[in-house]
Amino acid sequence: MNDELLEKLKILSDAAKYDVSCVSSGVERKNNTVGGIGNAAASGICHTWSADGRCISLLKILLTNDCIYDCHYCSNRVTNNVKRATFTPEEVAELTIQFYRRNYIEGLFLSSAVVKNPDYTMENIYKTLELLRNKYNFWGYIHVKVIPGADPLLIQKTGMLADRMSVNIELPTKESLKILAPQKKIENIILPMSQINNEITRTIEDKKSFKSTPRFVPGGQSTQMIVGATADSDKTILNVSQNLYDRFNMKRVFFSAYIPVISSPNLPAVSTVPPLKREHRLYQADWLMRFYYFKSEELFTEIDRNLDLEFDPKIMYAFRNIDKFPIEINKASYEELLRVPGLGVTSAKRIIKERKNAELSYDSLRKMKTVLKRAQYFITVKGKYYGNTKLEPEAIKNELRFKEIQKQMSIFDYMQ
Amino acid sequence: MDYLYDGTFEGLLTCIYYHYKKENACNIFEKSSYQQSIINDFEIVETDANKAKVVLDAINNKISNEAYVDIYYCYLSDVENKENIILQFLVFAFKYGRNTMNFYSHEKVLPLNEASLKVFKEEHRFLGILRFSDIGGVLYAKFSPDSDLLVLIVDHFADRYKYEKFIIHDIRRNKAVVYSQNFWEVIENVNIENIEYSSKEKLIQSLWKQYFTGLAIKERTNIDLQFQFVPNRYRKNITEFNV
Ligand code: SF4
Repeated sequence: MNDELLEKLKILSDAAKYDVSCVSSGVERKNNTVGGIGNAAASGICHTWSADGRCISLLKILLTNDCIYDCHYCSNRVTNNVKRATFTPEEVAELTIQFYRRNYIEGLFLSSAVVKNPDYTMENIYKTLELLRNKYNFWGYIHVKVIPGADPLLIQKTGMLADRMSVNIELPTKESLKILAPQKKIENIILPMSQINNEITRTIEDKKSFKSTPRFVPGGQSTQMIVGATADSDKTILNVSQNLYDRFNMKRVFFSAYIPVISSPNLPAVSTVPPLKREHRLYQADWLMRFYYFKSEELFTEIDRNLDLEFDPKIMYAFRNIDKFPIEINKASYEELLRVPGLGVTSAKRIIKERKNAELSYDSLRKMKTVLKRAQYFITVKGKYYGNTKLEPEAIKNELRFKEIQKQMSIFDYMQ
Repeated sequence: MDYLYDGTFEGLLTCIYYHYKKENACNIFEKSSYQQSIINDFEIVETDANKAKVVLDAINNKISNEAYVDIYYCYLSDVENKENIILQFLVFAFKYGRNTMNFYSHEKVLPLNEASLKVFKEEHRFLGILRFSDIGGVLYAKFSPDSDLLVLIVDHFADRYKYEKFIIHDIRRNKAVVYSQNFWEVIENVNIENIEYSSKEKLIQSLWKQYFTGLAIKERTNIDLQFQFVPNRYRKNITEFNV
């Protein structure tokens, strides 16, 4: 029995691990029911970090990997020869509680391959949540995946018990979807997204009149896109992601560098290195659009439809608009400060606050823990420019490249 | 004059009281770790809750509640000379009043902010990396934090495990907080050793360990980053890095 459980957990966590989202933030809830266990912290809590440096906060597993579909990029697909396993809802609930009591996790992230049919699968996901919430009185965080094509009523019932739901879009265009996930219909992905969004808005409205109305997925919805399995450009990907934020109020759009696990004529060769750098750049660009008031047009040009891999999108923007720099730290507006490469929200706010007391000097910037490695090339402080080179993109690039080499050499020295 | 206090927060505030009402303090030290100096006289200060309250109210009213929180966090840190950092800060802050917190990088303010931030970060980190095990129905966690975190983290777990009984044991300071039925208290001089785990407990630990190990994506391995997030000194009390 125990060995069987170990084996199941092995298979079903292994199959789930490529889903990147593992956040537990956005919901604040106290433990209010008699005999209840658990609460949720709005800021999210990381419980450990795996050997790849990623934060682990949820028990992320599949209910089953026994899939009837045949998505080319996925190792659970019906035509692939892998070991299959299925948890019962009771097993998942018990495992979640036992992990939670020991403070291993913030909660559960439950997903599933499509077993038998979408409704049957969704029904089992619902049963698991029902057990956790109503039998175990569990108030920790739960994120569930919606199975595209499942009955809206089931989605609705499940959403009343979950903190977050996600429907994965997987690929940014219809064409890519057709090639790589032939049984997935774009409507079956878009419809539940819009249903979730409507339910969220509806329960928020109802709550205004009836305080006791339970909220539908209070942590909102998110989705995930695979990067690098198709030829779609970064611009396409970011435009789709922008669209998803606007239309469905997505909390997050996650990007996942495609890791080739399968050989197929439609996919990059198995020897391909996963585009991790590209994934990182997409997150940076997505961040700039959501929190730094950048527009997608500002991050690309007519010719460049992909983000630069060597330099981050913010500094690339500065290089293309070098005539707008340097800006004076003691005069610039908050919005202008945010456009300086290397300055983040915290630094910009701190600068605004502190310069009210006294004009800032270069030294006081340093003391405020402002990272000046990149910023120094794009600012003046009391009229003085502190970059050790001319204000020209190529010169600055060379300087930064040189610093990078120096850094690596000192790491090398250190290792010897 | 060097003032010596008993290690309690109230004791420290009492010293601040005397600094203003009696004689300026050159420095404040914990009694047990004081090395007598040739230059300064010293005086052992009797902790006085009323005097401490006067200082506490003054901090809240004249400076800010934010400053009070930073002072308390700094006091819980293991930063060397933290008493002096607090003293220097207060001398500065009682002059600048409500504006003080805008001087983030000032030499009298920065050390306090840094110390309190260090504690705050460690507090948040342990909400995640503290590990319990089930010992005959009681949840038991041991840890060895840099700062004195027990009173900071207990409420989080008291809500989360409201209907459980639990013990969080700071093995570095030999003290523990014990919780049961909406009530907790800190107990000093605690020694708990040689715990035997039941077979169910062992099974769950190995399930977790296996889950944890399997999660890492080979292609993304980044051990340095992992060390940054989970420093070595914490690992011996974290289930998944042992068992
Ligand atoms: S439906 Fe999901 S689990 Fe099934 S093959 Fe497609 S991606 Fe894989």
